[in-house]
Amino acid sequence: MDFVEEILYLTSNYGTDLLNAMLLTIEITFIGFSIGLLLGLPISLGRVYGPLPLKVILATYIEFIRGTPMIVQLFFIYYALPIMGITLDAFTASIIAIGLNSAAYQAEYFRMAFGAIQREQWEAALSIGLSRSTVLTSVVLPQGMRIAIPALTNEIIYLLKYSSIAYFVTVPELVYVSKIIGARTLLHIQIYTVTAVFYISMSIILTKFAKIIEEKTAIPGLVLKGRT
Amino acid sequence: MDNEKLLIIRDLHKYYGKHHVLKGVNLEVNEGETLVIIGPSGSGKSTLLRCINLLVKPDKGKIIFDNEEITGKNIDVRKVREKIGFVFQHFNLFLHLTAIENVMLGLVKVKKYPREKARRIAEEALLSVGITEDLWSKYPAQLSGGQQQRVAIARAIAMDPKLLLFDEPTSALDPELIGEVLKVMEKLANEGRTMIVVTHEIGFALKTADRVVFFDDGRVVEEGEPEQVILNPRTERARRFLLSIRELYRLE
Ligand SMILES: Nc1ncnc2c1ncn2[C@@H]1O[C@H](COP(=O)(O)OP(=O)(O)O)[C@@H](O)[C@H]1O
Ligand SMILES: [Mg+2]
Repeated sequence: MDFVEEILYLTSNYGTDLLNAMLLTIEITFIGFSIGLLLGLPISLGRVYGPLPLKVILATYIEFIRGTPMIVQLFFIYYALPIMGITLDAFTASIIAIGLNSAAYQAEYFRMAFGAIQREQWEAALSIGLSRSTVLTSVVLPQGMRIAIPALTNEIIYLLKYSSIAYFVTVPELVYVSKIIGARTLLHIQIYTVTAVFYISMSIILTKFAKIIEEKTAIPGLVLKGRT
Repeated sequence: MDNEKLLIIRDLHKYYGKHHVLKGVNLEVNEGETLVIIGPSGSGKSTLLRCINLLVKPDKGKIIFDNEEITGKNIDVRKVREKIGFVFQHFNLFLHLTAIENVMLGLVKVKKYPREKARRIAEEALLSVGITEDLWSKYPAQLSGGQQQRVAIARAIAMDPKLLLFDEPTSALDPELIGEVLKVMEKLANEGRTMIVVTHEIGFALKTADRVVFFDDGRVVEEGEPEQVILNPRTERARRFLLSIRELYRLE
């Protein structure tokens, strides 16, 4: 059998397993990213505009997450939390770990995006009598979200790849299933080629999709620049 | 208390760190009056305007606006700002909103008008500054500087403020666009609005101002009739500065 035939052999015999694994990888990625977005946005707002104690707590959280390996965070949630009486299944533990991790990074991307909004926009908004919270929702968020799109695109592509850490707690995502298939068929190079092609294709699709969103939300005549 | 005085500033001081920027400003503005402030760059004119609408907190002194001491305690800052329109040197339109949305934002979010009513008022304000319907759905980046500044003026007057502050509204404009903005300001002055205008446009000051103030080094140095202050200033500092400005604008 040549290389192409071997790959076809794999996809025809393990197609369903691979497809399910890919779907699981996509699921972990998107749920993790969504948790990260849902938490990251308020974290960044609190970090930039909140009262001092909150700022300190959130900054500490971000530093803690950024300063420790994601795998340690996952193991903590999966193995250490049960000691405190919180038991989670592997999938739940994985999306929580990835979501909490991503929240810290996304908070930083948003912080940079908000920082890139001109002080003049604030002054103009305050000068017509808007409250600070309305300035945030009506001016800072709409502009900041747009500035943050490229960074968030990178983040979701990172997560796509990092979702493979769920392997270590036995979630049958793509790397986990590939490993099993590889061991069973001894077609290691072939199966990891399939895996790599999947990751690359997904990255390309995500990048394209983000470009479309970026173009759709672009402000006519204007290039909003973030600090890179 | 004198009801004609819309704004009274008494011994106003502002420090940025150790830098003493406002050094005891005294100023009064009557209802319906157009006051022009002229003075060198860095003398504290912008800081003074920012103190008036409380974007900057003064360190000492009093500001009484509309019979209320706004430098006092328990002041609703937003209510004060709502009553004072501010026109910035660099327009500062909301970049992500169209011309008409820029004008509507305050009407909807501050005055809580229903969108229909807000839209009507915004349209009226835009028309009054010569921004026609074809421009209403354009974004700031698609407008010329003169158009942007007129939208910014519409945004300010739509809120129906008691006082309008202009901080060098034409300084960032190409020369050929200055006229259209000055014309709008002149019209507002003639409508009897109360305005404080920081500008170097002495032609505008001579034609439109009721009173001119020469401001230097954090203080009011000289004030009086436009002709007197601009063409025949009493102090040496004002004389020198105005001479340089007049050369610049070739107004002899
Ligand atoms: N936010 C600020 N922080 C520190 N210094 C400032 C700030 N704003 C203005 N200044 C200083 O205050 C002085 C007066 O500035 P400004 O009021 O802008 O003068 P003008 O409008 O007359 O040119 C300048 O020396 C300026 O550098
Ligand atoms: Mg200035």
